[in-house]
Amino acid sequence: MIKQLLKEATPSFAWKNKLHSWRAEIFAGFVGAILVIPQGITYAYLAGLQPEYGLYCAIFVTLFSSILGTSSMMSGPNTAVAILIGIAVLPLAGRGSPVYIDFVFLLCMMVGLIQLLFWLLRGARIFQYLSPAAISGISAGAGFLIIMASLDSILDLSTFQTTFFYEKLYVIVSSAEELINPYSLVIGVATIMGGYIGRRYSPRYYIIIAVTAGYLCGLLVAFIWPQPVTELEYLGRMPLQWLPFKVPTVNMEYLMSSIKLIPYAITIAFIGLAQSLIIVRELKMETDQNINLNKEVYAQGVANFLAPFFSSFAGSGSFNRTKANQSLGASTPFSGIAAAGFVLILITVLGPILTYMPMAAMAGTLFLVGTDMIKWRDVKHYAQIRSELFIYIATFISIIFFGLATGIVVAVFLSVSVFLVRISELELKVEHTDSGPLLKIKGALFYASVAHLTEKFQSHFGEDLTVDLQYTTHIDQSAVDFFIRESKNMAANGSKLTLLTNKQQQLFLSKLGANSGINLVSL
Amino acid sequence: MAAGSAISPTQLLGHLPSFITFASSIQWLSALASDTQTMKSSHFLTFCSLLLLTVSGSHGQQNPPSIEQLLNEPFLDDYYSNVVYGYEIVTDTQKNASRYVGNSLNCSSCHLQAGTQKEALPLNVAGMYPKWRAKNGKRNGIGLRIRECFLYSLDGIMPPEDAPEVLAIAAYVTHLSQGQVLGAEPEGRGVPTLPDTGYDPNPANGRSVYLEQCSSCHGIQGEGIGEMPAVWGSDSYNKGAGMNRIREAAGFIWANMPLGNGKSLSHQQALDVSAYLNLQYRPADPRGSKFFKLLEDLFN
Ligand code: HEC
Ligand code: HEC
Repeated sequence: MIKQLLKEATPSFAWKNKLHSWRAEIFAGFVGAILVIPQGITYAYLAGLQPEYGLYCAIFVTLFSSILGTSSMMSGPNTAVAILIGIAVLPLAGRGSPVYIDFVFLLCMMVGLIQLLFWLLRGARIFQYLSPAAISGISAGAGFLIIMASLDSILDLSTFQTTFFYEKLYVIVSSAEELINPYSLVIGVATIMGGYIGRRYSPRYYIIIAVTAGYLCGLLVAFIWPQPVTELEYLGRMPLQWLPFKVPTVNMEYLMSSIKLIPYAITIAFIGLAQSLIIVRELKMETDQNINLNKEVYAQGVANFLAPFFSSFAGSGSFNRTKANQSLGASTPFSGIAAAGFVLILITVLGPILTYMPMAAMAGTLFLVGTDMIKWRDVKHYAQIRSELFIYIATFISIIFFGLATGIVVAVFLSVSVFLVRISELELKVEHTDSGPLLKIKGALFYASVAHLTEKFQSHFGEDLTVDLQYTTHIDQSAVDFFIRESKNMAANGSKLTLLTNKQQQLFLSKLGANSGINLVSL
Repeated sequence: MAAGSAISPTQLLGHLPSFITFASSIQWLSALASDTQTMKSSHFLTFCSLLLLTVSGSHGQQNPPSIEQLLNEPFLDDYYSNVVYGYEIVTDTQKNASRYVGNSLNCSSCHLQAGTQKEALPLNVAGMYPKWRAKNGKRNGIGLRIRECFLYSLDGIMPPEDAPEVLAIAAYVTHLSQGQVLGAEPEGRGVPTLPDTGYDPNPANGRSVYLEQCSSCHGIQGEGIGEMPAVWGSDSYNKGAGMNRIREAAGFIWANMPLGNGKSLSHQQALDVSAYLNLQYRPADPRGSKFFKLLEDLFN
């Protein structure tokens, strides 16, 4: 066991020999870097941090999880994780202030530790219970929150208070003239339009096209009006270091407050792993990569735990970047490592240009990302099964009304309940034979599903009953107890219970003492 | 002191449970928009209450903690950590607020002794600024003044009004302003206004004063030597800065320069050297064209 853990805990680099086309990997890394830069910056904004933290996250979280991981999954800054970080820490300190940053780091270390705990407990399987509908619902809800957040920067509203999105929309509409900064709006709209037009020509790089459109529009505005007039927000110079190593502050007071962060740490750890593992599982099914799920959990945990030491916040796998990576032919973690390097190089080169990137353009890309996450296709897809649709909609609605953290709890709860309801359902079929009714049971017979049997037994009360257990996947003690009880009842009435079983079931039933009053027939 | 204890760490911790209820997690994103205001208003509230406290002349109270005390504190609550952060930005703007800085100056290059020195543009001026005005507040508060110094004096970008850096400096300015009377001009505010000497400032004279008295620290080319700040050239304040007004600069120079030997120049010498500085090349006024500035920046 310990040997296995140690093996998982060290980078394997097994992909070295599989590196057929390192050129493709490097190019994929390059594209990944281009894609992650606007994401890192905007997600840092969502997390309430300065942009450079997002870029460090794009560098170091990607790097660590690729080095330790086994797949071509691209990790790094992630929307849901970033939003949750913001939700968790905002009540403790003013956005972006030193204490705020310390708390974010503390939270991220906790997230990493919890994920490592998941790894030790072999928790990767838990995530199979989160239904795809719940994941889509969470993603759509997060998309909605992102759109709402992007409005702040697109319209340059930073001075009013709202609690609910409808209130916010109402305030925006009712006092548009005073609140909205027209320059900012023009740049935001240019970005969004650039994105929609760009998508026609290049679905993969449309975000880049959008940012470029917004940037050029921003230059045009700046060319005509100076900043004191436009009041535009710019990205500014980013004080980037190549190795921003720093031990995060941890002291008694912080630890005491951090107790309040634990629920969020758990939520973030969970949602981060859930996303990563869904991606990895997809990769495992679709490619021939040699993927080890537990190792991926470990990689995420370590990457997030170490993130604060490198001025980054926690991240997780990214759907969109992994897709791009895959479509460019990357099949090893090397593309992730390359992406991390390219981010560093690109930022150093682009730095002076990015200085005058209007935040409205960045927010425009956020808007695009957000609208992308709410997919009509999903709704139609899930509409076919009522329970799935219900999970999707309930998750979405609780997120937009009660926030992401609550929404995730609802999603998990609903998925698990639907799962439980579904597996506790039995398929019962009654056939009439010469020796009385024959009851065929398909499904798992356990404490939750046994109750369904009672009815059938009652309706055939007084008859000799044969129960066919060959298609029953699982039998637990309470089911056996049930049979014993019923057989006694029936014996008192002069009828008899016969169970048709396979060998294993036979052994199990006899062991629990079901062989005395019941007629066990092994087939 | 009462205002200090109103936000002491223990109490802050005491408030945490109520913060982290589910309700508070609701709609964090709209809080993104609103926190700027809560943040600001809380600062302004603290700051107003501080001023009121001192104005009402409550005797026998302890002084607020000094910056040195705060720096030695292992744990600071949100407000005081912002004060310290603000102090760090003012004394080392290059490192702590480089995002918005375009030259090589720090706030304390002009606001001497981290803004505590009289007649050297002291920063204990929070009481001079109007309170938060909900509607067009961004145009009236101390925040705007701070942002303008970034744009002109530091030849950089105007930070957004809710930038953490701006809020931190505002907290620091508030902290420095304790003990001042709300609305009354603090003693030694700004720089002294020099009396009319009867002569026009003469840049040619100024040049010889500069070479004699200033170039040892600020360099023959005004580029600054070592830790000394540049007084002209692409690394100094731009043409829109307050320091680029001859009288303002003359007052500053007369009162404070040569550093450590202030008020040694005559008024006329100060005006002359100020006029000389004024003639030198420096970055363009950003109120002109940003595009030009962008090119200027890219070439630097
Ligand atoms: C090149 C010199 C210079 C630098 C550097 C500089 N300032 Fe100033 N600052 C001035 C001058 C001159 C004034 C007053 C004249 C005016 O109103 O323009 C001033 C005024 C101010 C005031 C208002 C003071 C009052 O009396 O009302 C504040 C607040 C301020 N600056 C903050 C800052 C901050 C914060 C920084 C650093 C980010 C900074 N300044 C950097 C020159 C400078
Ligand atoms: C002993 C060295 C020294 C001498 C001599 C000196 N200065 Fe300075 N000067 C400084 C320093 C240091 C600062 C920045 C303040 C600080 O860091 O505390 C400064 C700041 C300034 C500033 C504002 C910041 C800037 O870069 O624009 C001006 C203007 C200035 N000096 C002008 C002069 C003039 C004019 C003279 C000659 C009369 C002079 N100085 C002589 C050291 C000196």
